Amino acid sequence: MSILEAYHLHKNYRLKGKILAAVQDVSLKIDGNEVLAFLGANGAGKTTTIKMIAGLILPDQGSVRIDGRDPHSDPWALRSLGAVLEGTRNTYWRLTPEENLEYFGVLRGLTRTVARRRTLELLDRFELTHKRREMVQTLSRGMQQKLAIAVALIHDPQLLLLDEPTLGLDVEATENVKTIIREVAAEGRAILLTTHQLDIAEELSNRVAIIQNGAIAIEQPTADLIRQFSGTAYTIELACSLDGDRLSKVEALGGVVKSNKIYVREPEIVYEVLAILKPLPLIKVEQDQASLTEIFLQVTQKVNASSIHHA
Amino acid sequence: MLDLFFAELKRSWILLSRYATETIGGIIATTFVFYGLFLSSRYIAGPGIALGDRLDSVIVGYILWTLMLFIMGDVAGGLQDEARTGTLEQMFLTPYGAARVFVIRAIGSLSIQLTLNVVIVVAIMLITGSNLAFPPTLVPPFITALLGAYGLAFTVGSLTLVFKQVRQVQSILQFGLLLLLAAPTETWTGSLRLVGWLMPIAPGAGLLRDVMARGLELDGMRMAIASLNGLFYFTMGVFLFGWAERLTKRQGRLGGY
Repeated sequence: MSILEAYHLHKNYRLKGKILAAVQDVSLKIDGNEVLAFLGANGAGKTTTIKMIAGLILPDQGSVRIDGRDPHSDPWALRSLGAVLEGTRNTYWRLTPEENLEYFGVLRGLTRTVARRRTLELLDRFELTHKRREMVQTLSRGMQQKLAIAVALIHDPQLLLLDEPTLGLDVEATENVKTIIREVAAEGRAILLTTHQLDIAEELSNRVAIIQNGAIAIEQPTADLIRQFSGTAYTIELACSLDGDRLSKVEALGGVVKSNKIYVREPEIVYEVLAILKPLPLIKVEQDQASLTEIFLQVTQKVNASSIHHA
Repeated sequence: MLDLFFAELKRSWILLSRYATETIGGIIATTFVFYGLFLSSRYIAGPGIALGDRLDSVIVGYILWTLMLFIMGDVAGGLQDEARTGTLEQMFLTPYGAARVFVIRAIGSLSIQLTLNVVIVVAIMLITGSNLAFPPTLVPPFITALLGAYGLAFTVGSLTLVFKQVRQVQSILQFGLLLLLAAPTETWTGSLRLVGWLMPIAPGAGLLRDVMARGLELDGMRMAIASLNGLFYFTMGVFLFGWAERLTKRQGRLGGY
């Protein structure tokens, strides 16, 4: 059984007499130790889906199970869920980090003693101990975000929903949050991550789901997706220029030489080219890889084109 | 559940003590506003007229009014603040259920507010020379009045969840509350008496005036009516809150402001 199981979620909104299909037949599963990057443009249906999973929006159809429990009919399902929601503060700015953690611990079902113990652990783990008695409103944006994640973890949930957790953070704070996400997933939790920073999604996720116009356009393991969209060409970079003899031999094999770089289309001839180059110093040999950004743009543009075509 | 109550009590106390100037200012302002009203009414009545238990009745009404205003602001205003500052959705991610948390939060902050009200009552009694009585029999009608007040507060809270902005309703309700608390429904007769029984908070407020200002014993029949009245409005408020929660979740507008 997966920690999160969401099946066939549908949600329509009425706007000025018109029906807007915000989410259409979205199904998602996440296991422990897994980060699912849930990607989509603004208004694609990410936040509505996340809030349906968290029990904050009632789906028109479909079901959600968190650790086997339905958050819409069994409030104790929320005991297994922590969430950092986008566009909201998530914590009380007039309280200190320590007070926030203790309060939310009890609100999420812990006893005061356990909430107190977890508070001290999390303050230490998130390097907030020295700021524990300062009001949240005086903390930096990075620290506020770390605290929001700590609050989401106070009751040791199995599922963590992170909606844009690195939005508005500087480089150092972003790196901190990335480290935290990796560690938290490694503890056996399931993480649903939405972000517009696709390099972060690529770096952190095990699987990617792209939502477009309310429907899942593609869902695959991140590595498979990148492999699928990547070409078979290789680039060989040299530390020096190629002499005339080697140049003509490489070109005879079908290689394209530009300055210190050689582009080889067929992977079978890479070793033949390398044999010609030997013993020249190499800087790198790499397969051309698609980035998640390129994949995202290709997928979403394809879906848009097909929806225009069908219209 | 007890842990949740103490967590809410601590949270309310911290917020109150962190803004101590506001709190102390509130106590002073409430006391002086009443003193101003007291001086004006004594001036209008003339020096030869003794206000007697009428003054005590007015004090009971005024203190209840300030307490009811606090309850209204605490529940409905609190929801608006949470929605505006972006913590409302986190409040709904609790396994206890949002309605239960808000009821416990209300009880926690009321405990603190009651302590402050004792300070205000004592201050008013000292400056007006009032002789209010505090027999144990005041507790049951007081609870029925509180139940009614929370019922109304949760009703306005439900409107807050659905419509987000209900400042106008709150303003109008402030004066409506004054009517409910000041109207001497216990002296009404005939069909008006029935109206008095049905008005929220009013039966409990009438009994409180009897016990605290007129020195009367609790009337069993009227206490039963006040209890039913308080329970009805409280149940209605909590039910409406649950309905509003489901409606806003269906509309996807829980966290919006």
